[in-house]
Amino acid sequence: MDASVTTRNQEPDARAEALVASYERAGYARVAPALLQPAEPFLDLSGEDIRRRMYLTTTPDGGEFCLRPDLTIPVSRDYLASSVAGRPAGFSYLGPVFRYRSDAPAEFFQAGIESFGRSDKAAADAEMLSLGLEATAHYGLAAPDIQIGDVALFAGLIAGLDLPPAWKRRLIKDFNRKANLAQDLDRLVLGGNNARPEYQGVLAALAGSDPKGAHALVTDLLSIAGINAVGGRSVGEIADRFLEQSALGASAKLPRDVRGLIERFLAIQGDPDEAAAALRVLASEAKMTSALAPALDQFESRTGFLEARGVDLKRVRFSTAFGRGFDYYTGLVFELTDPERTGDPLVAGGRYDGLLARLGATDPIPAVGFAVWIERLSLYRGEP
Amino acid sequence: MSAPLVLAVPAKGRLQGNAEAFFARAGLTLIKPRGARDYRGAISGLDGVEVAYLSAAEITSQLAAGAVHLGVTGEDLVREMIPDAEKRVVLIEGLGFGFANVVVAVPQAWIDVRTMADVDDVATAFRHHHNRKMRVATKYINLTRDFFSAHGIIDYRIVESSGATEGAPAAGTAEMIVDITTTGATLAANGLKVVEDGTMLRSQANLVAARRAAWGSDERDLARAILDRVAAQARARAFREVRAHFAAGTDMLVENAKRKFAIEAPFGGPTPSGMLILHCPPDQVYALTNFLRENGAEAVTVAELGYVFSRDNTLYAKLEAGL
Repeated sequence: MDASVTTRNQEPDARAEALVASYERAGYARVAPALLQPAEPFLDLSGEDIRRRMYLTTTPDGGEFCLRPDLTIPVSRDYLASSVAGRPAGFSYLGPVFRYRSDAPAEFFQAGIESFGRSDKAAADAEMLSLGLEATAHYGLAAPDIQIGDVALFAGLIAGLDLPPAWKRRLIKDFNRKANLAQDLDRLVLGGNNARPEYQGVLAALAGSDPKGAHALVTDLLSIAGINAVGGRSVGEIADRFLEQSALGASAKLPRDVRGLIERFLAIQGDPDEAAAALRVLASEAKMTSALAPALDQFESRTGFLEARGVDLKRVRFSTAFGRGFDYYTGLVFELTDPERTGDPLVAGGRYDGLLARLGATDPIPAVGFAVWIERLSLYRGEP
Repeated sequence: MSAPLVLAVPAKGRLQGNAEAFFARAGLTLIKPRGARDYRGAISGLDGVEVAYLSAAEITSQLAAGAVHLGVTGEDLVREMIPDAEKRVVLIEGLGFGFANVVVAVPQAWIDVRTMADVDDVATAFRHHHNRKMRVATKYINLTRDFFSAHGIIDYRIVESSGATEGAPAAGTAEMIVDITTTGATLAANGLKVVEDGTMLRSQANLVAARRAAWGSDERDLARAILDRVAAQARARAFREVRAHFAAGTDMLVENAKRKFAIEAPFGGPTPSGMLILHCPPDQVYALTNFLRENGAEAVTVAELGYVFSRDNTLYAKLEAGL
């Protein structure tokens, strides 16, 4: 039998219990969500890639369940189902999570905090990072590497660019993947996606037409072809996309200066004060001060709160490109690592203001939190 | 008595018929000594081989587990069902039947979608528009995930479908599908079209070896015997035998023929009495006979080959390299 499913790495030791007790004293009520969770939210929010690492099971009536691969979604779901849903509330946890790993046991412990409903976002962000630092200090690692990013900055930049909506959508999506952004930038310059001669007729027919006209044209095209079933997408959606493509036709080539701006933006890194200064310069030179202002103000306010909490800003490494590959983060993203060891995150977290709405909340609820890799920290010999 | 070599063969339908015909051509007659309904058989005249009749999916998982030594199954199932397939099995040879492509298909009404780049864009737009992810019905969960990931597509959900997948979009249980097709006719009948660069895999039935099976010297000898005949048969089918007789003066003739046609000279140049035997691909035969006559051959005969055994056993070498 596969070692990954037969052994557990360790019991949560006394130090882990003491850590969560300290989080409880800080006002984060300890919760213990069910081990068995509906699979849907994980697959929906984390993407199909997580399926290969999940332990899935099917109920006799066809429902898909899984052993929880993390605790953020279970804690969020329990909060939404509780009587305090929508109101500010914070929770802590310590317990096993289950992920297939070819080289390590599938069952291992995580601790963490989730904070919901706080409108003082910058202060809440700073508190999370500082509570995360308490975790490593608790295990004897006083000065881990602190890597932070801020997804809201990239979102602000893209929103402020003069680009067709199709490309904005595309750039935001690819920012959330690790691989494709450079390729997209190339494509924007080349305009390769739309250079299909066989399409030019339809696109030209649509050029300048309004959504209503496009809708009529697509309906006619489909009926001439004898196609009835549209399959999930409406005629309107197909027409809208043709319009988008038609609009792209003329502006498929991204001006070099816009591409240069994106690349320059993604190259910004340093300690938070240096980075903020560089971002202000970039924003003013690109005449994007107002587009970037909300995210930048938030960023600087957070930096202030970090300083007030005694975090040594010179040890914080910020990068605009950090935070890619996490689909549901919307603002701060951070990781604490030990460069002397593997460099794997010991504490990882961030802000995910969109998550609760996607789990069914009717109004947006701000949320921020982090997870502590007890398994990794337990290798440190420090005293609590 | 040592454990026999287990050869797994599809238990049903056209695949079974094709597999049996394939082995029969190689001089390996599969028999069921205990009756046609038995799911255990043997190879006539080759002791120590047990033939296990299983479903193609079972064959694939038994190969992955090493519970059988050799098996006939589709490459699509190998790629879908066995993570890190190269570590567990060796694909020895495509068998020339059971052809099927694993493809991405979307409703024909999506006239704005032709390529995977369009699928990517539409998936992201769909999520914004409908506040949920586009559903892809398929039984090829792993192939789909890898292929979509390679194309940068993230805004989709897989809906597992074990049959009649092509009906899912019309039934409203998915927006698009990934399925096997041979001619595309079933897809078209269901109002679907194949995405231009959406062919994930061109699959056919393969002879597959399990790396984790117990490969003692007996099993290796038996596998060598089977693969030797399979290879001899495959080679025989790829060539025709061309015989010619020359009265004199054949210097450089074989070298020139090799350069012009994709021939082999298994026994070297002409015998002292002037007989020359060549192996020639079927489509080159007539041109070769002309060439030989122009160069002094008095008579040329062409015959089909039964088997071509050579000292090197390329298929067995492939198996042994993988074990």
